[in-house]
Amino acid sequence: MSNGMKLILLIAELVTVGSALIVAINPNILYSAVFLLFAFLGVAVMYLFAGADFLAGVQIVVYVGGVTILILFAIMLTQWLYRLKLKDIGSKFVIPGVVLALGLVPFLHRGLTELGKMIQATPPEKMAEFAASPKTQAIGKALLGTHVLPFEAITILLLGALVGAVWLARPRT
Amino acid sequence: MPANSALFAQTLTQWTQGTWLATVPLWAWALVSALIIIYMLALPFGGIATYIERKIAADMQDRIGPNRVGPFGIFQFAADAIKMISKEDYVPPGGDRFLFNIAPVLVVVGSCAGFVALPLGQYLVAGDINIGILYIMAVTTLIAPGILLGSWASENKWSLLGGLRSAAQIVSYEIPVALSMLPVILISGSLQVGEIVKQQGWNPADPIHANAHFWNVFHNPFTVIAFFILFVGGLAETNRIPFDLPEAESELVSGFNTEFSGMRFGLYALGEFVDVFVMCALVTTLYLGGWQLPFLELDKFWITLPSGLIALIHVGFFMGKTLLLVFVVMWLRWTLPRLRVDQLMGLCWKGLVPISLFNIVGTAVWMWAFKGQSMIQVLGSLFSGGSASH
Amino acid sequence: METGYISAFWFVVIAAVTVPLMLGVGALLRPKGITTKKGTQAYECGEDPVGSAWVKFNIRFYVVAIIFIIFDVEIAAVLPAATLFREAVLGGQGAFVFAELFLFVALLVLGLIYCWVRGDLEWVKGVTKYAPKK
Repeated sequence: MSNGMKLILLIAELVTVGSALIVAINPNILYSAVFLLFAFLGVAVMYLFAGADFLAGVQIVVYVGGVTILILFAIMLTQWLYRLKLKDIGSKFVIPGVVLALGLVPFLHRGLTELGKMIQATPPEKMAEFAASPKTQAIGKALLGTHVLPFEAITILLLGALVGAVWLARPRT
Repeated sequence: MPANSALFAQTLTQWTQGTWLATVPLWAWALVSALIIIYMLALPFGGIATYIERKIAADMQDRIGPNRVGPFGIFQFAADAIKMISKEDYVPPGGDRFLFNIAPVLVVVGSCAGFVALPLGQYLVAGDINIGILYIMAVTTLIAPGILLGSWASENKWSLLGGLRSAAQIVSYEIPVALSMLPVILISGSLQVGEIVKQQGWNPADPIHANAHFWNVFHNPFTVIAFFILFVGGLAETNRIPFDLPEAESELVSGFNTEFSGMRFGLYALGEFVDVFVMCALVTTLYLGGWQLPFLELDKFWITLPSGLIALIHVGFFMGKTLLLVFVVMWLRWTLPRLRVDQLMGLCWKGLVPISLFNIVGTAVWMWAFKGQSMIQVLGSLFSGGSASH
Repeated sequence: METGYISAFWFVVIAAVTVPLMLGVGALLRPKGITTKKGTQAYECGEDPVGSAWVKFNIRFYVVAIIFIIFDVEIAAVLPAATLFREAVLGGQGAFVFAELFLFVALLVLGLIYCWVRGDLEWVKGVTKYAPKK
C-alpha cells in the first residue's frame, strides 16, 4: 500500500472515530444523527480497504440511505426530541455506561489479538490477491452453497421483522 | 492492475506510452478524469440544462423563452450563474447554520459521484468498478439525507414539509428502482456496468451464445416493463414532474429549497439536474445499450476505422440516448399533472413494486426457458432453424 | 482494492470542494455592505410565522421508512445470488438458483401483501390511523 493510500485510510479512521465520538457527546441529537452518517461512510471506506467492496456498497445503501433516514424521521417526528440535552437525561446512565464500556475491553482485546495473529500468519501477497479479487460472486456462491440454510432463514427473519416493525408502529387500540 | 478498473486512466496511460506523460502516476490521471468529468460534463450540463428546460417549456407553450443573452439566449445560464454567485449569502436566522451548509455538499457529492461508474464510451469510464450498479445506488442515497437536513435547517414549515415528502418519496421509489435493476443483473450476471454494456452488443455470427444479446430492453417482454418502471422510478427519485411534490410550487412555495437563495439554491438546482443526467445515463447503460450502436459493431466494420473516431461515435451515441431521455423528462413536465401524495405512495407500493417483483420472476423464467437468449436471438434461431430444415 | 476507487475518491473530493469553492467565489464577487435587514423571518408568503417550524409530524413517514429498510436489506441479500443466475442457467443448474430467487420474491410479496391488507400502505387513512390518542 502506498503512502497516499495509507493517508486516506488514516483519514477514514479518524473520521469514523471522531464522528462516533461526536455522536456520543454532542448535546444536539440531530447533529448526532448527521455525524452517525459520516461514521457509517467512514466504516464503508474501511470495508473497501479490507477488500470487501460489496459489503461497503451495502453498508452505504442500507445504513446511509435507510437507517440514517429512519433515525432522522424518528427525531423529526418526535416533538421536542431535538431540544433534548444530554444532561437532561440525567447522570443515572453514566456509571452503568462506563462499566459496560470497560467490560467490553477484554473481549475487544481478545478479538484484536486473534486478528493480529491471523494477519501475521498470512503472507502479504495472499492478502493483496484477496483484496483485489471480486467478492460479489464469491458471496453468492457461499450463500447458495454452504450457507443456503442461513440465507433462507434470513429472508424469513426479515419477513418477521417487517411484520413486527409495522405492527409496532401501529397505535394500540 | 486489474484490467477492468480505472479504464479512463488506463487508456490515458496507454496513449501516452513513450512520452514524458507516461511517468505521470495513476492517481494523477484519476484526478484529471474527475476534473474533466465534473467540470466539463456534469456541472456544465447542469447549467445548460436549465436553459434548455426553459427553451423546451417555451416551445411547448408557444412562447419564445429566453432570447436576450447571446444568440437564441444561449448564454442565459451564464447570466443566471453570475447573478446567483453575486447574490447575498443568506442563512435563515432561526435555522441551523451547520446543517444548512452541509446539505448542499451532500446533494452535490451524491449526484456527481455517480459519474465514476458510467461508461461514456467503450474505454472511457473513470472507474469501471466491480460493483458498479451498487456503487451508483449507494452514492445517490446521499441525496435524500442532504435534502432532509437542508429542509430541516431552514426552519421553515414549507421546507420541512417538502423535505419530509422528498425523503419519503426517494426511499419509497428506491425499491422499485432497485428491483427493476435486478432483471439486468439476472441477464448479465454482473454488477459491473462496463460488462453489462458490452453484453448488449449485436453479434449475428454467434447467435446462440448469450454474450451479445442486443439491448436489454428488448431482451424479453418483462425487461420492457422493467425499463419503464426504472425510468418512472428515476423521475420520482430526482423529484421531477409528475413526482415533484417536494417542491410543489402551488402548495409549498418552493418546497425543500424555499429558504435557499443565491448560489446555495444554484447548487441544489445543479445537483438536481446532474442527478437527472445520472438517472437517464443509468437507464441508458442498463437497458438501452449504453454506447452500443444498434445492430452494428464498429470494431468489426468492413473498413477499419481509427480508434479515436470509434470512441467519438460511441460517446456520441451514449450522449444521444441519454439526452433523449433527458428531453423526455423535460417533455413530461408540460404533459402530466402532479400526483397527490396518496397517489404517489399508492403508485409506488401497490403498483410499481408488485409489477417489478413480477418482472424479476418473469425474466428468470425466460432466462431458464431460453438459455439466456434474448427475444431477437430466439427469433433469429427460429428463422435459421427453419431455413436449415428446408 | 480496485483502482477504480481512486477515481471515486477524487470525484467525491472534487464535488465536495466545489460547494465551498463556489460560495467562496461568491463571497469575493458580491457587493459588500448590502445585507438583508435584521429581523428577517422564515418566508411564509408574507405572513408572520406562527410558532416554530420544527413541529411534530405524522408517524406514517416512519412506517414507510421501516418498510423501505426491510425491502432494501432483502434486495442487498439477493444481489450476490442474482449475479450467479446466468452462469447457473448456462451451466444447466438454473432450477436451484431459480428456486432460491422465487422463494425470495415470494417472501417479499408476502410481506407486501401483509402491509397492504392491514392498511399500512394507505396514505390518507394513515392520518387518522396513526394519530395520537387523546
